[in-house]
Amino acid sequence: MTGVRFALVKVFLIGAGQVGFTIVEALHHDHELTVMDNEPSRLTAIADHYDVATYEGDGTSRRDLSRAGVGGANLVIACTSRDEVNLVAGMFARREAQGATTVIRTSNVEYVELWRGGQLDVDFVVSSELETAHAISRIIGVPAARQTDVFAEGQVQIVEFDVEEGASADITGVPLRDAKIPGDSKIAAIIRPRETTLPGGDDVVRPGDRIVVIGSPQAAKDWSSILWPESGTVRDVVVFGAGRVGSAIARVLLDQGIGVRMIEASREQARRAAEAFPKARVFNSTGLEPDFLERERIGQAQAGIFAMRDDAKNQYAASLAKVHGIPFTIAIAHEAVSVAAFEQAGIDVSVNPRGVTAEEIVRFAHDPRTKQVAMLEGNRYEVLDVITRESSRYIGTQFRDMPVHGALIGAIVRNGTAIFPHGDDVLQVGDRVIVFTEAANVPWVVEAL
Amino acid sequence: MTQAVVHRIGPRRRLAIDVFATVNLIGTLGKYLGLGALFPVVIALWYGEEIWPFLAAGAITSGLGFALERLTAGAAVRVGVREGFLVVSATWLLAAGFASLPYLFAGGDQLGHPVDAYFEGMSGFTTTGASVVTDYDALPRSIDMWRAFTQWLGGMGIIVLAIAVLPRLRVGGRQLMESELPGPEIAQLSERIRSTARLLWVLYVGLTALETLALASLGWLGVDERMTPFEALAHAFTTMPTGGFSTQARSIEAFSAAAQWIIVVFMILAGANFALMYRGFVRRRPRVFLRDEEFRLYLALALVASLVLTAQIWGYGIAEGEAAVRSGVFQTVSIMTTTGYSSTDFALWPALALLSLFALMFVGGSAGSTGGSIKVVRHLLLGKVLRRELDQTVSPEVVMPVKLNGAPVDERTLRAIASFILLYVGIWAVGAAILAIDSAFSGVDLGTLDALGTSATALGNVGPGFGITGPMGSFAPLGDVSKITLIGLMWAGRLEIVPVVVLFTRHYWRL
Repeated sequence: MTGVRFALVKVFLIGAGQVGFTIVEALHHDHELTVMDNEPSRLTAIADHYDVATYEGDGTSRRDLSRAGVGGANLVIACTSRDEVNLVAGMFARREAQGATTVIRTSNVEYVELWRGGQLDVDFVVSSELETAHAISRIIGVPAARQTDVFAEGQVQIVEFDVEEGASADITGVPLRDAKIPGDSKIAAIIRPRETTLPGGDDVVRPGDRIVVIGSPQAAKDWSSILWPESGTVRDVVVFGAGRVGSAIARVLLDQGIGVRMIEASREQARRAAEAFPKARVFNSTGLEPDFLERERIGQAQAGIFAMRDDAKNQYAASLAKVHGIPFTIAIAHEAVSVAAFEQAGIDVSVNPRGVTAEEIVRFAHDPRTKQVAMLEGNRYEVLDVITRESSRYIGTQFRDMPVHGALIGAIVRNGTAIFPHGDDVLQVGDRVIVFTEAANVPWVVEAL
Repeated sequence: MTQAVVHRIGPRRRLAIDVFATVNLIGTLGKYLGLGALFPVVIALWYGEEIWPFLAAGAITSGLGFALERLTAGAAVRVGVREGFLVVSATWLLAAGFASLPYLFAGGDQLGHPVDAYFEGMSGFTTTGASVVTDYDALPRSIDMWRAFTQWLGGMGIIVLAIAVLPRLRVGGRQLMESELPGPEIAQLSERIRSTARLLWVLYVGLTALETLALASLGWLGVDERMTPFEALAHAFTTMPTGGFSTQARSIEAFSAAAQWIIVVFMILAGANFALMYRGFVRRRPRVFLRDEEFRLYLALALVASLVLTAQIWGYGIAEGEAAVRSGVFQTVSIMTTTGYSSTDFALWPALALLSLFALMFVGGSAGSTGGSIKVVRHLLLGKVLRRELDQTVSPEVVMPVKLNGAPVDERTLRAIASFILLYVGIWAVGAAILAIDSAFSGVDLGTLDALGTSATALGNVGPGFGITGPMGSFAPLGDVSKITLIGLMWAGRLEIVPVVVLFTRHYWRL
């Protein structure tokens, strides 16, 4: 083994829309990218920002794909907004680029099921709707969280919290070494408008901070109740919009035994939702009439999820729902710019389906040892799931002696079980390590381990 | 120029249906229907009775059918949805007429009167089982068998039989079959309507054979000496279509307890959905029974009603032990499935038991069974609709599809069910009123409950009513107006009202 090098992956990307853009943003540092789209203006926009090869062509044309050099790629990602294009492109890429990993994006859950049943000849199928639904269900599980992600088959959870005034004094205002932090968890970062610290024992969490916590799912729930004492377990959620996204969310929540009410303006769609989800109570209403909201006591719901097609409507409906008393609002932001607008409007959590999809797809681009990647705070931080090699210089090191170089080991998975390491634990070969780090440090961290 | 346009527009056609095509199809059906008279001819020959009444009946029916067919030959055959109603309704009137001919010719005093003969014929084909016969022993054996045989033909439907056997009806057969088969929808057993019709008939014939064998073996084993092969066949012919004609004046009371229990089992089967039974028995998937909401409710209703009746009979000391249980179960199943046999004179039972039986007349069998009346599935769906209405009173925006066996039911179907039940109740009430008025004028002793019960029993194709029309009574004393009313009720009830009632709407006939 000569020196460890971050494996260079040749990525071929079909689709330069929002998802494509986000993927390029995340991958352009470390990988060789070719982006193909049939819309020159989108390619120009990407080329203006990043150093990637672009090719104008049709993803459903095998000749175009071949000319653009799909044959040399290790990873082919078809992420246009059209399922058919992605499917066809994925199929052709299979033939052209033998041995490459193919990932396609779909907005139809049916294709995901087909893929799981081995009926689609691609390596991975990522559905915006499902990813969005899972992201929301994780947030609902930890209601104080702004964003959460799970690793190691759900044993490790990474949660981003806003620390507010009502937070328990066990955590805030005292140096971390004295704070009563829930067992099996760690604060990975304290994020403030100007600076971000990977905290040591002397640092103090204050109301207004945003913190990233790595810990067991139970610890994440404990954190939630410390930071947001009045929140309990969520039992009653109202989903506004019963389209694809809304339905996917309802399905995931219902499967977890959470009570769901749905509000849908289209009569047809409301009926379809009511047929599909016998356990949910479906209303045919815009969700904006005060009479209706009052009569059905929508305000008494523990959380409102706004999954209508129009961002502006989601924002207004969420504000209205807050007025009626829904304490916790999660809104779908179809446009990336809406995320900031929603936050400004006081919506508790925004989820951008395309962002979530891009994040899921990016996971496939990393080193084969790197199992999973989550992105936090835009794309400034990443969470990696890496398996240590023999040659790593930190093997045998006690955790208290680990250097803090803009990276933090939140958990290790040894023999399939998650361990939340203390100072005297020792890193071993073959450990899966969950690392929190700045995006810029990713190659360095992977190499070091 | 103007002339040419006028010419091209053509004269105004006022009829909305194709009469020629309709009559042509009815003629074809009649032609083959007449062949049904051959069966009693065999019976008559066997017992050395007169065969000419049956031969004449068959010849007249087939001849009339043939004539109608020839007279309208060459007309473009366009039997669509509209014509279907008329074909079905008229064919059933014709069939009842066919059934009445042997009674006219050989019925003597009991059945010889035209209205009586037609009543008995309609009661036969509609599987009602109401009879004007008073002295059963005086009837020839061939007439006994003819009565049973007409019920058997009518049970699964003469048009369903025609679709199964005749190639001609393949076009537009679905609509005709929908009108004739009981229940709001046909469960599809096969892609092709003809195969479905065949499978239904095969199952029907198979179950009839099985029952005949089971009953006849009681006679052979010496358990029930009165249950001869002739009786076994005659009663299987009237059990499977939930008919209810018996060769005996005292109906099933004349036979042993074992025979009664066997008949109970086959009545329950006859009142179940044949498509469901085909999947359960023939394709060996017994779980379909448990999963079917209608079948579960059907059994539950039968069980609860049996318990109520048994408790009543036992409590009042009318019978006890096995006899009480048997009477309770038998009478529940017989009335609920609209068979109409009696194992005892239930007219003598206490008021609550009578009211229970009265209510059971409105339950009926399952959809796709040979039973009549409203049918369990309609009650089930109406209940669900009512529950939804209550919910929507509180929350007008709530969307709740009504589901049957997990599948959403079309709103149109639900509306159709609601209007069916309204029509059913309305026609029942009007029928009862006519019976009461006519009886008052003609001096027949028909009480309030009797009039209501007699109207319900005819419309539901059950058979016995209350009072003079009760289980051991006869419909003979009623006046002609009453009998004609009952004929209409039986006819409308068998065809599930709508195909008959649309004939009385203006826009059915006129553009």
